Amino acid sequence: MKFARHTAAAIAGAAALALMATGCSSSKEQAASADNPVELTVTTFGTFGYDDLYGEYEQANPGVKIKATNIDRGANARTDAFTKLAAGSGLSDVVAIEEGWLGSIMEVSDQFVDLNEHGAADIKDNWVDWKFKQGTDPDGRVIGYGTDIGPQGLCYNGKLFEAAGLPKDRESVAKLFGGEDATWETYFKLGEQYKAATGKAWYDQSGFVWNSMVNQMEEGYYTKDGELNVDGNAEMKAKFELLAAGTAAGLSANQTQWDWGNGKAFTDGSFATFVCPGWMLGTIKGQLESAGGGADSGWDFADVFPGGASNWGGAFLSVPKTSEHPAEAAKLAAWLTAPEQQVKQSAAANNFPSTLKAQEKLVADATPNVLFNNAPTGVILANRAKGVVAQFKGPDDSVIQENVFGPAMKMLDGGTAGADKAWSEALALLNDLVVNN
Amino acid sequence: MTTTLNRAAKPAAIKPKPTWKQRLSVFDVKASPYLYVAPFFILFALVGLFPLVYTFVVSLFDWHLLKGQGDFVGLQNFAEVLQDRFFWNSLFNTVSIFLLSAIPQLAVALFLAAMLDQNLRARTFWRMSVLLPYVVTPVAVAMIFTNMFGEQYGLINNVLGNFGLDPVMWKSETLPSHIAIATMVNWRWTGYNALILLAAMQAVPRDLYESAALDGAGAVRRFFSITLPSIRPTMVFVVITSTIGGLQIFTEPRLFDPATAGGSQRQFQTTVLYLWEMAFQRQNFGKASTIAWLLFLIIVLFGVINYLISRRIATADAAKPSRAARRRAERTTR
Repeated sequence: MKFARHTAAAIAGAAALALMATGCSSSKEQAASADNPVELTVTTFGTFGYDDLYGEYEQANPGVKIKATNIDRGANARTDAFTKLAAGSGLSDVVAIEEGWLGSIMEVSDQFVDLNEHGAADIKDNWVDWKFKQGTDPDGRVIGYGTDIGPQGLCYNGKLFEAAGLPKDRESVAKLFGGEDATWETYFKLGEQYKAATGKAWYDQSGFVWNSMVNQMEEGYYTKDGELNVDGNAEMKAKFELLAAGTAAGLSANQTQWDWGNGKAFTDGSFATFVCPGWMLGTIKGQLESAGGGADSGWDFADVFPGGASNWGGAFLSVPKTSEHPAEAAKLAAWLTAPEQQVKQSAAANNFPSTLKAQEKLVADATPNVLFNNAPTGVILANRAKGVVAQFKGPDDSVIQENVFGPAMKMLDGGTAGADKAWSEALALLNDLVVNN
Repeated sequence: MTTTLNRAAKPAAIKPKPTWKQRLSVFDVKASPYLYVAPFFILFALVGLFPLVYTFVVSLFDWHLLKGQGDFVGLQNFAEVLQDRFFWNSLFNTVSIFLLSAIPQLAVALFLAAMLDQNLRARTFWRMSVLLPYVVTPVAVAMIFTNMFGEQYGLINNVLGNFGLDPVMWKSETLPSHIAIATMVNWRWTGYNALILLAAMQAVPRDLYESAALDGAGAVRRFFSITLPSIRPTMVFVVITSTIGGLQIFTEPRLFDPATAGGSQRQFQTTVLYLWEMAFQRQNFGKASTIAWLLFLIIVLFGVINYLISRRIATADAAKPSRAARRRAERTTR
């Protein structure tokens, strides 16, 4: 017994010492240098465009080694981040967070380092103001630096448009959809025209169109005050019915999101239009590559969007409290999201930066995007970003998008339900999954 | 007599104190077996028993994935899950996929084992070959099969299309999706089970077959009358392990449609997959723990049923008449 007590005391003592030691090292963090090498882990998702930047940072900061992980898509990154948050360990030093599940993260914002402690106030004017505000929690703690935003333009396939007797060039297409006054009604009407001429679908599947419609509203699944805003929301239901009517008319190709037959759907003419937030251009690029398609597959990018300005998605870089090198991690996050790097990120991933200077640079350069029929995608996205209002994202926003409206959209696409049945199914799911969870 | 008695009494009265070495050897005999089995039980207590109990504790609380422990709610989570339409849907899917995989799997494994039990050339080659699918990781298997079963671009529907047949909705219809997932399971486990059954078949005394052959029994008759009854205990083992595995199926349905948790309308959402959705998408850890416990109870129930059946089979094996029947027989002979 005595022996056991001694051992226990010794173990406890050692543990306490270890705790103190780690406690000390994190509070008095030594800056990384060749003599004090630091390994920083970074987790991103989708097409993020950071691969070259890591090497650049390592070169400029001797002693820093970056170990990067890229998760295929946002939903999986969400599960990854949540699991590790719940476990209390395993998160990278720098974690990319998507706008859609930022609401959940905000509920536990105290698990993330307040970037104000690492100079966030000095660089806050870099960003468009709403983006910076999104990354700030109600207590004024900054937990995320914005990377990109998701202003939406319209991707369309020029070849297919031409074959259907529609105009092919960007300006005429923008005018065709109504220019500044483009509406969803026009979008669906043109779809029916296209369907009649070719017998083919207009959009890939209903889910993305729906996401765009909802993100465009002043208040989405939640009101500004954080109340659920679906049941009895006449505006949302009207949009739902509009989309359901279009899908019932055969305008949806019923493709699988994020799969598209490994990209084949982008090359075989399955659909002619695609809703494109900036980062989606990178997704399309990846899909075309995997399907062996190139610039000749006919995709183009028009400076127009049904229903006006819309922002879907965009990401943030955060430093979790569990990081052993919070100062170094915050420095890396600030560097990666600085305007110069955002310009490079945009070039690599085709997404649209969230800092003003980077946006200006993109507009000034007006680099033609070869894959999209030499469209100046940066300039177009900057135009599309005008008038974007940040929508409040509640704690279950991504669950509502994926698990509540996802199945309803699939019902519409599969033709197993009409507007009324799908809408009531969505409400039932909302009740089961969110309200009474 | 007296002298001898006296002499004997003296040394017996003072029992020599056992030496340290002797005591150690007694201790060794008495305690060692426990020490030898202890590592398993300590490990089991750490990674089996503790999580089991802790899961039960969590299931009694409102417990959010990120925000952690909330209020104590007693058995409310159990009551809610038992009324949850998705829970029952997931149980139906699990049992359906289990039946679709276990039954054909066992039949084919039996046939394969019987074939491998014959005098084949390059025996080891054939035996190792059936085990090959088992070596491949389930994730890789699931990805390949998921591709093949694609609705619009999948290999199988393409082939069907070439013959002018309608495509099968492998992912949006319930039964086809269950068949597709059962196919993955069968692909992986049939060879494994065949090898276990083969081992049992090889233990069947060869002279039984010879005398049966002399009596004019054909190959089919020998299989059904000698092989099958002889390997019954192994069959029971295979059934039990595949039941436990089948009720916990996760990887295959998870990867069959990576974008959803078991199909857009939960067509192939198994119970473990529902547990996963509850924990990591709906972030309700309390209810997820409840589902885990209910699943545990269901598996125990299946285990007990299996045990009862296997006991019946074991007694049937010995073909012992019951005690009452024996008495009756004795009485009649008297």
